[in-house]
Amino acid sequence: MDILSLQDVCFSYNEKRTILNNVNLSIEEGEVFCIVGPNGCGKSTLIDCILGINKIDSGKILLAGKDTCKMKPNEFAKYAAYVPQAHAQTFSYTVMQIVLMGRTFTQNIFSPGTKEDKEIALNAIETVGLRGYEERDYSTLSGGELQLVLIARAIAQKSKLLIMDEPTAHLDFKNEIRCMELICQLVKENNLSVVMATHFLNQAYFLENAGIKTSVGLLNDGCFEITGEPSNVLIPENLSKTFNIVAEVAADASGERKYILPLRNI
Amino acid sequence: MPIFIFFFSICVGRYDISVGDVIKSILQLLSGHDFGLSSQTFVLVTRVRIPRTLQGLFVGACLAASGTCFQSIFRNPLVSSGMLGVSSGSGFGAALSILLFGTSIFAGGFSFVFGMMAVALSYLVGKIAGGNSTITLVLGGTIIQSIFQALLSLLKYVADTETQLPAITYWLMGSFASTKSSDFLYALIPMTLGLFGMFIFRNRLNVLSMGDREARALGIDVGKNKLAVISSASLATAGAVAVSGIIGWVGLVIPHICRMLFGNDNKIIVPTSMAIGGSFMVLIDMICRTLTGSEIPLGIVTSIVGGPFFIYLLKKTKGKQW
Repeated sequence: MDILSLQDVCFSYNEKRTILNNVNLSIEEGEVFCIVGPNGCGKSTLIDCILGINKIDSGKILLAGKDTCKMKPNEFAKYAAYVPQAHAQTFSYTVMQIVLMGRTFTQNIFSPGTKEDKEIALNAIETVGLRGYEERDYSTLSGGELQLVLIARAIAQKSKLLIMDEPTAHLDFKNEIRCMELICQLVKENNLSVVMATHFLNQAYFLENAGIKTSVGLLNDGCFEITGEPSNVLIPENLSKTFNIVAEVAADASGERKYILPLRNI
Repeated sequence: MPIFIFFFSICVGRYDISVGDVIKSILQLLSGHDFGLSSQTFVLVTRVRIPRTLQGLFVGACLAASGTCFQSIFRNPLVSSGMLGVSSGSGFGAALSILLFGTSIFAGGFSFVFGMMAVALSYLVGKIAGGNSTITLVLGGTIIQSIFQALLSLLKYVADTETQLPAITYWLMGSFASTKSSDFLYALIPMTLGLFGMFIFRNRLNVLSMGDREARALGIDVGKNKLAVISSASLATAGAVAVSGIIGWVGLVIPHICRMLFGNDNKIIVPTSMAIGGSFMVLIDMICRTLTGSEIPLGIVTSIVGGPFFIYLLKKTKGKQW
């Protein structure tokens, strides 16, 4: 069964301009779906629709077979976790306090976290490789570490689907790779599914190269123009059509590891 | 600490009373058994000192805890308990009643009603812009606040300068001296409800302070939880302001003192702000009524005493919580 499926989703902020027009997508367990497209094509809007922050005008969003419109927030959090793009650190919580927030949906207001919740949070911190950071003030972390903490918080939810909005937007190469390797690990070991919006098209190839079932949806003018495996979607013709650029798709000596080389604007 | 200060405050005053006599008085009040106290001492302890000290505890706890809650849900460390116009609404209500009836008899009731009304208006203004956006709510609060402040100035302008204007001004400066015990008993209802609500919902504040989008994705109903916290905090603040006038500082700085001392986890700092806020208020009130022959308004002493203390803490902890 698909963990997430969107059927003819339409959305507009006001009547004048339609942002999303008949968007369809479906993600299986253990699959990564990359939403790519030019700035302003509606990637973040689409993510907000999936999260239920934007109320869709028509169509259906099914999470684990259930209509998300009828889901309560705590039920949604059971099946899907969200990793934000930019996170404003207003108060200096400790890393542990942040990751523990991932367990919120299991608690009602009279029962704060149990010992088990703490253990789950600790494991999540371990998974992202930040063991020993539990009592660190999270506002003093580097951008890369912060992103890992937010991913740990999502892991602590123990849900089947991760929704990520440009997870590597502010990261350097090393941290970007760390983040991508973490995604690969989660998909392979825990059979998680991931939806992620990204501007780094090579990440789709990175995942495909790592042997993960990967799909790419090219979002433009409010709907997916093409959807499919990276090798079939991220080809020079499609890139020139969607992004208006001239690009080459190259491969390393073995011919197996592919990457995109953007050359110039048309 | 609040318990210690409670007893200390009952002992200290124009007439010094020994701790033993205080305990005896309380036991006598509770059990009805006669411990052979002078009736003067007994009356002073049970009718004057205890209510007044309790009032200090409750008012301080309410203001400080609401400050903490508002800071967390608005994700803004500069917000205080007067956010969303509670204080200026209350001030306007009190001034209106003084103007209408010539005395401050109904000031408490009026100020509570108008304080709550100001919050409701701020909330509605925030809603006009759509959704639960924090920024529109803060803006709504600021606008309602300024409207009530303007109205208050208008009332002051038309008030009789011989009798009404001083009454309004003294009320606004804040004092426990003129509070009637019946007013305090009525105000206990919203204050207790508010404190209880904030205590319960403290478990939600960490998540709410992550912002609406993340809070929702983490699995809580943002609108409902926010409304519950805002209602509790406003009930507490309006109740407190109704009996003691506008006391600044406590609702902004006590939360920060707690943050410096205990970190930012709301599970911890909501109850500790209550304890420290209450203790601080009682301490200030003690200074107010013992320092000089006549009582100094609370609002003045809070800043004069609290300011240097805050600077001391800042130096000691190096403000590492920001």
